[in-house]
Amino acid sequence: METVEDHGNGELNHLTKKPRLTRFITESAIADEFAHHQPGVARINNGSFGSCPGSVLSSQREWQLKFLRQPDDFYFNGLRKGILRSRTLVKDLVGADDVEEVSLIDNATTGAAIVLQQIGRAFAEGRFDRNDAVLMFHCAFQAVKKSMEAYVRRAGGSVIEVRLPFPIRCDEEIITEFRKGLEKAKSNGRKVRLAIIDHITSMPSVVTPVKELVRICREEGVDQVFVDAAHAIGSVEVNVQEIGADFYVSNLHKWFFCPPSVAFLYCKKSGSSLDAHHPVVSHEYGNGLPTESSWIGTRDYSSQLAVPTAFEFVNSFEGGIRGIMKRNHDEVVKMGEMLAESWGTNLGAPPEMCASMVMVGLPSRLYVTSDDDALRLRSHLRAYYGVEVPIHYQGPRDGEDGVKDEYGIVTAYVRISHQVYNTLDDYCKLRDAINQIVDNKKTCKTLLIE
Amino acid sequence: MNGDASHSKKKPKLSPPEISSEFSHHDPAVARINNGSFGCCPRSVTAAQRDWQHQFLRQPDNFFLNLLQPAISRSRSLVASLVNAPHVDQISLVDNATTAAAIFLQHCAWSFAEGRFSPGDAAVMLHYAYGAVKKSVEAYITRAGGHVIEVDLPFPVKSEDEIITEFRKALAKGKSEGRKVRIAVIDHVTSMPAVVIPVKELVKICREEGVEQVFVDAAHGIGCVDVDVQEIGADFYTSNLHKWFFCPPSVAFLYCRNQSNAGGDTQLQLHHPVVSHEYGNGLPVESGWIGTRDYSAQLVVPSAAEFVERFPGGIDGIKAANHSAVVEMGEMLAKAWGTNLGSPPEMCGSMIMVGLPACLGIGSESDSLKLRTHLRDCFAVEVPIYFNKRRHDHRGEEAGGGVITGYVRISYQVYNKVEDYERLRDAVHKLVNDGFTCGSLVEPESD
Repeated sequence: METVEDHGNGELNHLTKKPRLTRFITESAIADEFAHHQPGVARINNGSFGSCPGSVLSSQREWQLKFLRQPDDFYFNGLRKGILRSRTLVKDLVGADDVEEVSLIDNATTGAAIVLQQIGRAFAEGRFDRNDAVLMFHCAFQAVKKSMEAYVRRAGGSVIEVRLPFPIRCDEEIITEFRKGLEKAKSNGRKVRLAIIDHITSMPSVVTPVKELVRICREEGVDQVFVDAAHAIGSVEVNVQEIGADFYVSNLHKWFFCPPSVAFLYCKKSGSSLDAHHPVVSHEYGNGLPTESSWIGTRDYSSQLAVPTAFEFVNSFEGGIRGIMKRNHDEVVKMGEMLAESWGTNLGAPPEMCASMVMVGLPSRLYVTSDDDALRLRSHLRAYYGVEVPIHYQGPRDGEDGVKDEYGIVTAYVRISHQVYNTLDDYCKLRDAINQIVDNKKTCKTLLIE
Repeated sequence: MNGDASHSKKKPKLSPPEISSEFSHHDPAVARINNGSFGCCPRSVTAAQRDWQHQFLRQPDNFFLNLLQPAISRSRSLVASLVNAPHVDQISLVDNATTAAAIFLQHCAWSFAEGRFSPGDAAVMLHYAYGAVKKSVEAYITRAGGHVIEVDLPFPVKSEDEIITEFRKALAKGKSEGRKVRIAVIDHVTSMPAVVIPVKELVKICREEGVEQVFVDAAHGIGCVDVDVQEIGADFYTSNLHKWFFCPPSVAFLYCRNQSNAGGDTQLQLHHPVVSHEYGNGLPVESGWIGTRDYSAQLVVPSAAEFVERFPGGIDGIKAANHSAVVEMGEMLAKAWGTNLGSPPEMCGSMIMVGLPACLGIGSESDSLKLRTHLRDCFAVEVPIYFNKRRHDHRGEEAGGGVITGYVRISYQVYNKVEDYERLRDAVHKLVNDGFTCGSLVEPESD
């Protein structure tokens, strides 16, 4: 990505307000940028809601003030230019061909609604046959599953789930299951109209071999492929042309330091994307999804407008976003291995199938036997230890032994994240908290949560 | 009082300098007479909003798991009492009226797809319905096989009867074509041109004529006109809170008379188009979680209500004061320019249409936009201009005999001053004296 020009010729790149320093952002500057995070909390859940540095928040506030100051002028003279600038930066970042393929929307959930609404319409209008299939992973994000119910099942489509093996050892396991799922979807002469593939699953979190899976979809004649990459941008390399999907959505507020909330939806220039509309219809209806999305009525668009400042922030780190991604990955794996060793458990996936998040097995003696147990434990960690980390319950599968530690079957995993503001201390707190709970012979059911 | 020094200690009424201070972030150079388009938000409310934003930035998991939903419920309860909705379950918070329209119209599209409505069944809407709503009707109704009947409205308008007559005609047209009129979309206050519609009467007529569902688009409703959803009697009613109720951008409510919550038939319920975890749990709950985003505008409704209470008479007092001020200013302008008002005062809320001198030569919508830009750029006056295509019915004649084709839509809100309208008056005078016409304006560069 193009970095900021220096001052040699006296010109300032209009995106930059500060003079370019020859050294990179320091540890203490990073701490300052995230000084608004609650002190005393080991915040190891960047994956859920992301994070936003102070300098980007300031930029966002400036945009908000601009609007409040003279909204008409802002609407007629500032808004569209600002959004186009953001879209252009994103287009370059993800390797899209044309800025017209890039729309800015609130979040991946909205992206799913856009893609699924047009699928639903095709069923309702008879362009797809009843019971034609749509494929997704069984661990697809809950909001996406509900969206399938609301737009696909409701309109007569059938939904086929692909099991994601977990714990997992290699990409092949996913590819095998995916092929099985496709077979099933195509059975009885059904057409597979859409496959939804997570680039990085949410819970449990695993980086999937998305390029390979998209290729298989093309081989098998799947109409449209939608990659739900909510976690991808800022944690793995993203090249939308190489991945080759029809639709690709990722949140910029999770791992790319934008304020809540903004995501991009990439729509490959082709027939099907022409029928993708923003469900909140406004004046720009029919002018293409990017333009439709840039005006969905009066609202606060400042998080979309602050995107350039997030790029600036990222570029103040050594290696830019690639440097950040590599360091996050190395650290989170290191921390994961530290925890697994301390607890006598395992990682849920090998390091090469992780990005900036890792699943670490929790000691079996905690006896996590349900989603409720997992939530209870999570609440307890928050209330009593100041640790914020999501917990995944992995029930035993019929006919399988499950992964064991010294005392029994591992049924739960923490999903730890590493972002630039995290420190070793955060993970030590988690390590010690779990060890203490186990040493006190507490199980989930006996934990207090208030 | 019973001596209960309770949680809400009443703050004193705001003095004029304090009001100015609350809006000191407005561009001081601009005569801002367009509250109708984007509304306004006082400092104390934006400060409250920042507090909420800080809460989630600080610890988002705790915020979303423990703080967000109770705060949304609080806002919803407050809105329910403001609009006299009997039950908080009838109130959902959404981004804006545009979103509310999409929610309702998508539901209608499903009704067509699922056979509850038949192809050719009709939707009635006003000719002056908001552009975004018209597009939404096209996207969801026309596309699904519905037929759209527009109610032709006169402008300038002389009385409510003219609107009622046209509305009856439109319904009769539908009937005569053998169509079932399934829904009606009625503005409470049209946007351009701005006119207060006799919405209660129109809803009554709809019931008489068997129109199944009535949706009232009151984008300009709360804070601009009286809103009592039970009295108005519509099935659905939406209003923006950031236009005339001092909330930050953006938040609106959608009232649904008969919607059930979790457990009802999901096909008969309204749904937020951005589907998330709460799908099927009722629109209010669905709308309270549509993925990670900034919900802070929804959370400061209580702060906006507090602000409103610092004016004599609260929201009713503000409404009344805005109304009489905007009528006074409108009459001042019409007199100064030798033109007319677009509607009688009783058909105005906090906005009024004032005819522009015919010699300005506003011949198209493009002209009106160019003139508006010219007023902004050269006179620092912000006011929207309406191009009235109706030239054949001789309603828009000015004193000199020319036909008035353009109207300014002036708004009055608590931060406005007489000087704002005098600046507009003088700007137009100057243009007239300089022999200015829209034809002389260069096409503005597109953004």
